[in-house]
Order: sequence, then C-alpha cells, then structure tokens
Amino acid sequence: MAFLGQEEQVREFQDRFRYLYAILFIGLGLLSSRLVYLQVLRGEQMRHYSEENRIKRVKVAAPRGMIFDRNHKLLIDNRPAFDLEVIPQYLNGYKEKQNVIQMLSKLIHMTPGEIQDVLNRNRDQPTFMPVKIKIDLTRDEVAAVESWKISMPGVEVREEIKRTNVYGELASHLLGYIGEVSPTELPQLNKPTAKYKVGDVVGKFGLEQKLEDIVRGIDGEEIKEVDALGRVKLDKDKGRVLAENTGKAAVPGKNLVLTIDQDLQLAAAKAFGDKIGSMVAINPKNGEILAMMSRPSFDPTEFSRGIPTALWNKLLNNENHPLRDKTIQDHYPPGSTFKLLTAIAGLEEGVINEHTTFNCPGSLRVGNRVYHCHKRGGHGSVNVIGALTQSCDVFFYHVALKLKSIDDLSKWAFALGLGKKTGIALSREVPGLIPTEEWKMKHFNQPWNGGDTVNVAIGQGFVLATVIQLANYYAAVGNGGTVYRPFIVKQIESSDGRVLKEFDPEILSKAPLHQKTVDIVKEGLWGVINTVHGTAAAAKFPVGMNAAGKTGSAQVIRFAADKIMGLKCESLKFLDRHHALFVAFAPVKNPTIAIAIVGEHACHGAYIAPVAREVIKTYLEKYYPDIYGEKVLATAAKDNKSPATFPRGSESDEDVVIPDDGNQGAAPPLPPLPPLPPPKSTTNETTEIREGDE
Amino acid sequence: MTHSFTETPLSLDEGSMRVGMYDEDFKRFNFNMLILEFILFGIGIWNLVSATGVQDKAQGLYKTQLIWFAVGMILTAVILFMFHYSLLSRLAYVIYFANIILLVLVLAVGKSSLGAKRWVGFGALRIQPSEFMKLSLVICLAKYFETDRTVGGYGLKDMILPTLLMLMPAGLIMLQPDLGTALIIMLTFASMMLFMKIQTKTLAVIIFCGVVAIPTVYKVGLKPYQRQRLVSFIDPMSDPKGSGYNSIQSMIAVGSGELVGKGYRKGTQSQLNFLPEHHTDFIFSVFSEEHGFLGCMILLGLYLAFLLNGMSVAYQSHDKFGILLALGIMTVFFWHIFINMGMVMGLLPIVGVPLPFLSYGGSSLITSILGVAILTNIANKKFMF
Repeated sequence: MAFLGQEEQVREFQDRFRYLYAILFIGLGLLSSRLVYLQVLRGEQMRHYSEENRIKRVKVAAPRGMIFDRNHKLLIDNRPAFDLEVIPQYLNGYKEKQNVIQMLSKLIHMTPGEIQDVLNRNRDQPTFMPVKIKIDLTRDEVAAVESWKISMPGVEVREEIKRTNVYGELASHLLGYIGEVSPTELPQLNKPTAKYKVGDVVGKFGLEQKLEDIVRGIDGEEIKEVDALGRVKLDKDKGRVLAENTGKAAVPGKNLVLTIDQDLQLAAAKAFGDKIGSMVAINPKNGEILAMMSRPSFDPTEFSRGIPTALWNKLLNNENHPLRDKTIQDHYPPGSTFKLLTAIAGLEEGVINEHTTFNCPGSLRVGNRVYHCHKRGGHGSVNVIGALTQSCDVFFYHVALKLKSIDDLSKWAFALGLGKKTGIALSREVPGLIPTEEWKMKHFNQPWNGGDTVNVAIGQGFVLATVIQLANYYAAVGNGGTVYRPFIVKQIESSDGRVLKEFDPEILSKAPLHQKTVDIVKEGLWGVINTVHGTAAAAKFPVGMNAAGKTGSAQVIRFAADKIMGLKCESLKFLDRHHALFVAFAPVKNPTIAIAIVGEHACHGAYIAPVAREVIKTYLEKYYPDIYGEKVLATAAKDNKSPATFPRGSESDEDVVIPDDGNQGAAPPLPPLPPLPPPKSTTNETTEIREGDE
Repeated sequence: MTHSFTETPLSLDEGSMRVGMYDEDFKRFNFNMLILEFILFGIGIWNLVSATGVQDKAQGLYKTQLIWFAVGMILTAVILFMFHYSLLSRLAYVIYFANIILLVLVLAVGKSSLGAKRWVGFGALRIQPSEFMKLSLVICLAKYFETDRTVGGYGLKDMILPTLLMLMPAGLIMLQPDLGTALIIMLTFASMMLFMKIQTKTLAVIIFCGVVAIPTVYKVGLKPYQRQRLVSFIDPMSDPKGSGYNSIQSMIAVGSGELVGKGYRKGTQSQLNFLPEHHTDFIFSVFSEEHGFLGCMILLGLYLAFLLNGMSVAYQSHDKFGILLALGIMTVFFWHIFINMGMVMGLLPIVGVPLPFLSYGGSSLITSILGVAILTNIANKKFMF
C-alpha cells in the first residue's frame, strides 16, 4: 500500500546504495585488518600474554633448619599451626553470613561480634581473598570446624608452619626469634643479592638472626593454573589447560647442633626459679657454651606468627627487660669476682707472694678518704688465699696500691679476655670496660689516682664486664690461662642429618700465668666454697665436687659509705638492691665447667650460688658418673667443720681420670639423670649469711 | 489480508507431487535471511556452550538462550504468515510510543543490574525495552520519512521533528544509563538521516556544532565510569587492572587465538574467567580465541553475507517504506556488528553493545530475530501489489 508516485524517489534511493555498500565494506575491512594485526602479526605475543595470565607462581616457604642441643635433643622445631580463614565471596546473603558467624563463634570460641569485626576490617580487599579469623586453633577447634565445615561455606582451616621453641621460654635469648621482614630492613638484607621480599620471614634476634643464612632454606615455587580471581584450578576441575600443577620443591634450611646441654639448661632454670638475671656455663677446655640463660624471658613461639601488639608492649615496658640478653648485652661491675684478677696481677707482678699478709682493721685510708672493708670488724691478718676466701677488701686495696700502675693490673685483665668482646657468634655483645691510665685521661681528662686504684681492685669504679666475660675469664684461670672464643654451634647438619661442618675450638690468647699463681688463687677460690669462712659456704656445695668460686655484688645505686654499713641489702626497695654475682668452676684442679651467674637485685652471691651448684652437679653426674656418682655429690657440706682439704699436687684423682680432650659430648651413652634435690630456698638462708660482700 | 504463502503450508515437506505454482512460489520465496540467521545462531549457541561452561554465574545459560530462540521462531512465523509489513507503517507511532512508555517504566520501576536500570519485569519475564526501541525507532522513522515531503535535502528546520523522535528514546536510555544502546539509536538515526540526504550547508553546521560540543559532552554528559572507559581506550595501559582491564584481556584473547585458535572450549582467557562479560558483550573474544583467524574470517564472511542480503532486500523493495524499514534494520545490525567487534578488538572504546545472534541476552536476540522476520516479510511481499 505504498504511496503512488514514489517510483522516482525509490529510484533515487537506490542510487544512494553505493555509499551504503562502500561504508559496509570499509567497516568490515577495518575489522578484518584488525584481526590480521592481532591474530596473525601479534598472535604469538598475545598467546604468550595469555599464558602468563593463567600461570601463577606461588611461593612455597622453605622450612627453616631445626636447632638441637649437643645430644640432639630438639630445641627449635617447625610445627604445624592451624588458622581459621573465611573467604567472604562464599558468604552469600545476610542470613547465610549470620548463620556461619553464629556457628563459627561456638566452634572457635569467639563472639559473633569479634568475627564480624575481623571481617569488617578486611572489607576493602577483594572478596575472594581469605580473611584470617583466628590463628592457632587448638586441636579440638580444628576437629570441630572440620566436622561442621560442610554447612559453613567459605570456611577453611589452613595449615601453616609455626617456628616453635620446644622448651617455651628456655634459652629464648640465645635461640632468638623470627619475624616478618619489614620494609625498612629490606635494603639492608638484600645488599649483596636480593633474597628477601616483604612478607618473608627473617631471624631477628639470637642465633636465628646470626645464623640466618644457614638456617634459612631456599623457597620453592608452585606453578598453578589460576582463574582471573586467582582461584587455583584443581587437577580435577574442568577447563584446565595445564596437565597438572607442578613446581620446584623448597630446600629446607640446615640444622644446627649446639654446644648447649639441655639438661643443664633445665637444671639451671629450675634452680633459678623466678629470679632475674642470667647465667653462662662454659667448658674451660675448649670454650663450648654448655648452658646460657637470661631471665626474665619470653616465648619465641609467640613471635613466629607475628607477635600481638599488646604482648610486645608488655615485654618492652617490663622494668626487668625480658627482651635483653643479659649474658652479653648488659654490663655489670664485676665486684668481688674481680679480686681474682687483682690477686693474679699481684702475684705475677711480684708485689706479693703466698706468704704476704696485710692486716685488715676494717678500713683503709687512701689520700683523704677512708675505704671500708665489707666486714666492719676487719679480717685481721690475711694472706692472699684467706683474702680470696673471705673476700677481704683491704687486702686487695693494698695489693693494687703496691702495683707500679693500674696498667699492670689492666694488662692481666686484657690477657684473660676482659675489656673486649669475647667474640661469641651472637649479635649485640658489648665489650665491657677495663680502665687504664690513658683511658681515664682520654675520657675524663684527669690523671689516675689512688682512689681509682682502690675501687678497681675490688671490681668497682670504672670496671665493667658481661656475664659471659666473667665465665670465660674464670674458665681461662681454671685451665691455666688459655682464653678460648666461646662458641655455641658445634655442627651444621643437612636437613637429613649429615654433618656438613664441625666447629673447632679457637684459642684467642694465652695469659702467661705461672702454675704457682694458678695453684694459689685456686686454693683461695676453693676456700670460698669449701671452708667455713668462705663467702659461699652457705650455698652448701657437696665437698666431693671440689668446686672453686667467688661471690660478688654490685651496687645498683651509690650509697654513702657510712650509710651502707648500717643497712641490710634485703631491707632496701627491690630495685635498689645490689646485683649478686657468682662465678665458679669445677673440679678445681682440672675444671671441665666454668659458670658465671648474675642475680639482679639478689643482694649476695651466696644466694645465687645454688644455681651454680645444681648446674655443676648435673653436669658432673651426667658426664663423669664414675667419679661423681650420686653418693659423692649427695654428701653436702653439712659438717664443713670437718676439715675438707684442698687437693694439692698431681696426685689428685680428677687429674688422672678426666679426659683432657675436651670432647665430652661424644662420651659413652649417658645414664638417666638422677632426680635433683630440691633447690635451696635462698630466702631462708639470710640468717646464715652474716657478711655482706662489699 | 491475502498471502501467497498461506495456501502452501505443505510445500515445506518437499513432496515431488507438488507441482505448478505452489512449487514455484516456494522457489521464489527468499529464505536467505532466515538461513543465515539459523547458521549464525547455530554458531552462536555452539559458542555460548563453551562460554557458559565456565564455573560462574553464567553457567548453563545457553539453555535459556535456546528458549528465547524458540520464542523468536514463533514470532517469526506470526510476522511471516499473519500480516503484511505495511501494517507496521500504520502502527508505527503506536509501537513507538508504547516502547517509550516501557522505557519510562524502566526508569520508574525497573530492575537494576551492575548499577544500571535496564530491565522491566512482567512476572517471571524480564525484558529490556531499550533493545526493542532500536526497531521501534526504525519503524517510526521509516514511517516519518515515508510521509515526509521534503525535497532537495533536509535543512535544519526539517530535521527538528525526526531529531526529536530520536532524542526522546535516546535520552531515556542514557538515563538508565546504557550508553551503548543510546549510541546505536543515534547512529541509526544519523545513518537514516544521511540516507535521506541533508543539505550540504546544514551538514557543515551540524559537524561544526558536534566538534564544539564534544568536550562539553565529555565533561558534563558522561558518567565518570564512561569517561574512564574512553581514557582507557586511548591508553589501556593507564590502568591495566582497572578500567583498561577488559580491553587488554579482550585483545589478548582475540590475539592469542592466532591462526587456527586454541580449540573449542580450550580458550584460557574465557575458560579461566579472565574475560569479564564473556557470554554477553565480549562473546566474540571467546569465539576468536578458540577458533583463531580462520574462524573469525568465516564468521565475518557470514555477517557480510547477512548484511549484503539485507541490503539487497532493501534495494529490491519497491516502496519507500519498505526500503527505509529494511535499510534501517540493516543499519542497526551493521552498527551492532561493527561496534561490538571493534570494541572487542580494541578498535573502539568499550560500550555495551551485543553481537547479534552470538551474545547472550533474550531481548537482544528477540530484537534480531524480529528484524530478520520483518526483512524476510519485506523480501517476500514485493510482488504483492
């Protein structure tokens, strides 16, 4: 029903079709040439891009090496931890989400509000990314969640590795802790070669830090086929193109075998109780660290998955500094433990011999100042052995004043390893301080004076040492003058247990001590423990142990001399009390263990001496059961009045029997440990200790 | 109304008994558009099976598409056998305004998806009136130009009315917002208008105004996401994970098909979900990834055959309305094919325009089928009077 008379117009229209065909061919021509460009000319490149798209490389974290004690007792392990994750994209709709949250809250012991909070906090990330709701589920929680998982879409239990200190807080400073690499650390860590990425784990303290390169493995890689949401296609899924998910296995880190003996550590921890301080035990024959502990401590396991801020702040703000390794990081005035050095200097420099006596009236005037002895009544006439045994201050004032200069004393301190880092393979070690005349001039622009000498003679004044230095210096005296570098790693093993590297003892220096000097000071130190006048007699070491030691104390705050005399340390505020020191080695003639202990605010060395007693006892019983059977060591020095005699000469039995190769770790199979006697409650012993050590 | 074909329903069973004019009639009947429609839809549904095999919300949607096709076939039968296309000329404005009302309804009570209101529901049925608007506008314009008596090319004043006819639906669709469909509406109008001839002076003025208006429209007329799309079209790498993502992934899909493709249902880009909207607007990238350059050239060849056939229907139509209607419908098809493929290949910015017969979508499919039905009707009614 077309209009009439249109024919002309229709023909005109038909003329215009040329343009339409032109446009049509141009359009499709454009499309075709684009196809040629994309599919033919750039096809190969585009194919490559599409491959890259779907192949995702996923890092497989290599397990860090495990750490064992010298007898292959496991100290640091990689244990599985279970985390609860929710993938929000599967929680469709409000009702289902609430259901899941309700169920979860019952199963994992969180309130629905808490779960909702965690989800809300992660609202900005893509919904296919899992949100960690709770870390470290208990086994029961894992079981519960797994059995209800079918009715909770998007809920997953994820297994991760948790670096675990098997013994909790024990030796945590030594073993150290790990943490995530922070962006600020990254440039430093990646200096020689780029090895770390943000989110990687790195050792941050202790051995974990120092031996990072050994303990750390080589991360592997999994090649997975993923979709655009990053979801991994499982082998059974349809539409996958890669035959199977492949990759490169992770190479585990190397294991460490330490020189530490965990039985000693346990004994020390038990004896230490909740005291504050630290302890180092060294084998004087080779410098192996046998035990090492700092209190208060922390549990490195808490750090391995990111430490909660609240806990971190608590550790940081604790006035007893749990995060510091008090064995190497803190300086103490060595106090009376330094008198050993004054005695050695006096004997070696020839200003005294074993017969030299000085009278101690209880004080000594030097210049226009009076220096007191800790025993107000004085010790009367004492020789060097008695002075060490009773810790007579005045005797050592005299010795030091007789030396040509303080440098004659300092030189022996340096020779025995004081005043410089021991060189143990741990970070953050401080060097201590042994003053010289030159040092004082340089730092105070004042000449050395007699008062300085007197202070140094008894380990006060400028002298500073770390606990490990004290242990090492007593060990050196014990072995006749050889200073070893203390070491802590005995072996490096591959993850399957092959020994890759063994560490040998390293001699740092040899102090040219005369055997006679050594014998004299040893007798004095032996007396400290084994005679009735000894300052550590109260610690009741078994006579058969033949231990030698020295007590000491260091003032935390300075009191006027007359004031301190009237005050009992125990009556002071806790944080004002003196630090107590105790250093010992055993057996006296041919020591196989040397130990230094500091008890912060513990007042008197005798209070902490029982720790040394227990560690030495455990050690001797374990490694020399024939000589130091239960019976020998159980004979406590109850009746110290019956004459215990210092073992003189070479006929003493331990000289003959104890092997001198320093290889006790490889000793024959170890007998089970006898139960330890209950540690002495030191607070009850106050009445027995009459003499302050000052 | 009488129809030459209504008497010969049995001619379809190809009996050799049938002789004379029945057989003649059957031979004269122009099946070309229908055959091409079947081939294209066949490829489309085969491709859609692959595209919707992916584990996502689109899984199994090809079944719905088949149902829509069946509905389309019934409508085709109705259009072919029950009336003459000149009925459309009479009902042109009714259809046009009915569709406008639907568009208003969409804005008032429509259902939204992906931030746009495009659907209006009747019970379980959800339709997209903007799709049908393309046809309605063509019918309306064909009617308008049929009766218009302007000679010697259209001047500005003559263009006011047809422009208003275009602007009303275009504006409503822009409000949804559905830039792609509005663009098709405008391009279709422009094509038909140009075909009707515009005075050279007027055309120059329009072009000048257009050039001036572009920055203003860009600043004021476009939503931020639309602007972002334009930016990422010019430089897709400016935001490869964001607004440029679709464009890049789509180009990778097309290109990675290389010469013969990755094989049916082996396209990693689509099967692994790297392509968003791979069952609707980006369906062509699925096809080109799996069938490569050769497959694409075959598909392009089929579309070319389809368009040429449609053009010849228009060309051979003996009345003004028939020519304009057929031409308008072919214009709609052409722009869909060109814009969709151009967008998938990264030649054009991303606008939501489906590919006829291949993209999933009921309203779009029905619109295409209706278009083919009307074309076939025109093709076979030319000897009617």
